[in-house]
Amino acid sequence: MNPTIKLSLVILIAFEISFTQVWTVNLALLIVSLLLMIYAHVSLKRLLWLTAVPLFFASALVWSLKLQGSTTPHFLGVIFTRIFVYVYLGGWFSQTTQPLALARSLEQNAKLPAKFAYGFLAAFNLMPKIQAEVATIKAAALMRGQVLHIWSPQLYFKVILAAMNWSDQLAAAMTSHGFVEGAPRTYATTIPLRHRDWWLLGLSLLLVQLGLFCGLP
Amino acid sequence: MKNWHLRDIILVTILAIFMGVIFWALNPVYTLLAAALAPLGLQPLANEILLGVWVMAGPLAGFIIRIPGAATLGEFLGAVVEMFLGGIWGASTLISGAIQGLGAEIGFAATGYKRFGWGTLALSTLTTTIVTFAWDLLRSGYATYHLNFLLLLFVVRLLSVFFFGGVLTKLIANLLIRAHVLPTTNR
Amino acid sequence: MTTAIRNLTFTYPNQEHPVLADLSATFPDGSFNLLTGPSGGGKSTLLKLIAGLLPLPTGSQITLAGQALQELPATQRASQVAMLFQEPSTQFTMDTVLDELRFALENQQIPAAEMPAKIAAALDFVGITSLKNRHLTHLSGGEQQKVALAVIVAMDSKVILLDEPFASIDPAARLDLLQNLVQLSQAHSKTIILADHDLSFYERWIDHLSVLEAGHLTTLSPEATQQRLAIFSAPQRQLTHVTLPDRQLPVILQGQDLGLRQGTRQLINPQDLSLFAHQITLITGPNGSGKSTLLRALVRLTDYQGTLTYDGINIQKRRRKAYARQVALMFQSASAQFLNVTVAEEIALSHKYGRQTYFTPERVDQLLAQLNLTQQRDQIIYTLSGGQQKKVQLLCMLMMAPQVLLLDEPLKGLDYDSIQTVLSILKTVQHDLQLTLIMISHQLSGLDGFVTLHLQLADCQLRYQEADQ
Ligand SMILES: Nc1ncnc2c1ncn2[C@@H]1O[C@H](COP(=O)(O)OP(=O)(O)OP(=O)(O)O)[C@@H](O)[C@H]1O
Ligand SMILES: Nc1ncnc2c1ncn2[C@@H]1O[C@H](COP(=O)(O)OP(=O)(O)OP(=O)(O)O)[C@@H](O)[C@H]1O
Ligand SMILES: [Mg+2]
Ligand SMILES: [Mg+2]
Repeated sequence: MNPTIKLSLVILIAFEISFTQVWTVNLALLIVSLLLMIYAHVSLKRLLWLTAVPLFFASALVWSLKLQGSTTPHFLGVIFTRIFVYVYLGGWFSQTTQPLALARSLEQNAKLPAKFAYGFLAAFNLMPKIQAEVATIKAAALMRGQVLHIWSPQLYFKVILAAMNWSDQLAAAMTSHGFVEGAPRTYATTIPLRHRDWWLLGLSLLLVQLGLFCGLP
Repeated sequence: MKNWHLRDIILVTILAIFMGVIFWALNPVYTLLAAALAPLGLQPLANEILLGVWVMAGPLAGFIIRIPGAATLGEFLGAVVEMFLGGIWGASTLISGAIQGLGAEIGFAATGYKRFGWGTLALSTLTTTIVTFAWDLLRSGYATYHLNFLLLLFVVRLLSVFFFGGVLTKLIANLLIRAHVLPTTNR
Repeated sequence: MTTAIRNLTFTYPNQEHPVLADLSATFPDGSFNLLTGPSGGGKSTLLKLIAGLLPLPTGSQITLAGQALQELPATQRASQVAMLFQEPSTQFTMDTVLDELRFALENQQIPAAEMPAKIAAALDFVGITSLKNRHLTHLSGGEQQKVALAVIVAMDSKVILLDEPFASIDPAARLDLLQNLVQLSQAHSKTIILADHDLSFYERWIDHLSVLEAGHLTTLSPEATQQRLAIFSAPQRQLTHVTLPDRQLPVILQGQDLGLRQGTRQLINPQDLSLFAHQITLITGPNGSGKSTLLRALVRLTDYQGTLTYDGINIQKRRRKAYARQVALMFQSASAQFLNVTVAEEIALSHKYGRQTYFTPERVDQLLAQLNLTQQRDQIIYTLSGGQQKKVQLLCMLMMAPQVLLLDEPLKGLDYDSIQTVLSILKTVQHDLQLTLIMISHQLSGLDGFVTLHLQLADCQLRYQEADQ
């Protein structure tokens, strides 16, 4: 499925079920997303993690609503299934979409300016370095005799300086590799946007609308 | 008014990832806090206490990049990162990210992205709290809570956002201004 | 047709003094030019101006292979001039080698059908066809620099600028890259301008050596060039004073069945490793072999196999904060270690928590003077040049005086004089306070007589080495 279409579908559905209260549709959606993940060979470990986490938080939220609020069991069921739909839909999207394919699709199909598509991508590809940097900053401070907490301005100060430094370097490197803002580019690979993608989007949304508004509980 | 350039786009993204990573490191704390509060039915409080850290990406990006849309984009990209890391709110983080960012954005937009002092930050704190709370009324069923509990949640959220998104952000900005990496137009 | 600079004067915004003052120079097509000079002399600034990464001041002129830089449309600049940067890991946009090459060709509006041939040729030229589908983040620094060079080859740029491209590259990879560059300049008539502090290996290759100092560029005569290069000649790189460790030496850090992995790759096979107290140990090894990872393991920043003990006690059982004061790491990136804004504030912080009895204010002043930093006391750290930051970082870490100080490439980016000063300070403090120093370095010039033990990492194995003959 075309990445841009897939992203739109996920956001539209997540948005819509935030406002509606039909637990059967939620249930159907979560089953479909789960099946889609199994079909895409998402690892069992990942699936368990994607199930255990919302299980804990959804239960805790439902329990809290029951104790501290006035509500119906129907509504609790809606909230409980809603959280699962969020996580499974998000899981399906993030586990089956390559950031590069998404960036290319946003550039080619959604006409997002290339500076955004590749700017995002360049930063995302730095993710491992960014993760290691936070640990490095904390350890380096410890060696100077200071403990950095989540509420220490210095932690963020260091992080922001690193971010500024790297963004300067990356932008200079992209320019040096011939990237010019707003200039036309060719595409090494074209991301197809087929009629099938539009049909899939339309039909899926139609099905959800039918479910939501035909009087299901 | 400034335009988005390549460097700004990369900077806002790296910043968002950093904030996502810091927030992620907090996950065990969040889970423990939530688990401790859950039996009493107070789990949402854990959310409220830590929410300030999560919405910090918005005001920070707004402060540093100073281009209309910076706060929204910073917060939204943070949400994208969180979803790819496998956050507990999955796809809905994309929507809440955009909403949280908009909340902070209103504060900056109200002053035309020209003033970066306490007034702007306090305003942005307030708008963030109100907008995100309205979203949780819908998404997480907060609307069905008793009024007292709801007030408690609101106040805790306001304090958290005020501390992290306001006070702490200002302290960080002061350091950055002293280091000459941010302009001093800070009234 | 040459690359020429006329009357270039450049001042950074909000600065009083120009970095480059009325500078003129000419580089013939197909020439290989080496640029050196003290740290902060303006080498990076000059290269960025030629690359068009900084705006050219009015009145100054730069011509690239016969074309004026100002008149060159932005979209054609990359086919004229390309730059290879010092930091290997932050110069890519894409995930894999292939995608990065495609990205550069897309920017040049090369039709997709012509890409595979160009990509294959570029990879073959640099000799990294086998890396084609690898993830860029999984490559070593040397391999990343080779990829960056392949991108430039694919773009077919006429002028190639390199800013300390070998700063973190091991000697073997360095020689490899250097040969590629020479071939490019000779066979394909590319103009190459390269800035470096470490002048090892250049003697056979370069056409001109220029020194950039106080805003002016001076091209040295052939004799003066040879004199300069002699300081970095092969005999200067030999370690003739190291010994194999004596059984009597006290051990401070001990690894049992110590192994290191990165993902699925074994970096160091499980082995027993002793690190000795009060010694200066040098660790060498190829790029990506795991030297930095080893130091990170010693300070508990990465997982490892087996056990590690410090002074007989497992380091995992020690309190993190207390241990950080016993065994500390001077990180590769200087800015990671700073917490404040000005040099004076950093020194005050180290004074507060460090060894105050030895590092009295008088001694600190004297050290600052030795390091040429007296003028910089109240300067903001982040506006110092790379070399100056490195020296401040070193001073701050020495003032903490941990029992064991680990140094990850502490000499990177320092000019020759600074290296001499830094080594003599390190030696004095180490001797006076009986510290243990363990350092990684790719550059060996000047280290003979300084280090006492030499530990080499090769083929996943760490071994102490005998003296070179
Ligand atoms: N963005 C900047 N703003 C102000 N001053 C700067 C900036 N960048 C560099 N400088 C100053 O310009 C001078 C030249 O710096 P440059 O980085 O070109 O030196 P260099 O010769 O490359 O030094 P090194 O060998 O340490 O890399 C230094 O004194 C530095 O402090
Ligand atoms: N965060 C990470 N994720 C994945 N691989 C990594 C990570 N950090 C390092 N590596 C890989 O581990 C290997 C060892 O890296 P390390 O930095 O220890 O090498 P090194 O010997 O210090 O090399 P150099 O001389 O280039 O500094 C390299 O191949 C590197 O690509
Ligand atoms: Mg430089
Ligand atoms: Mg290393």
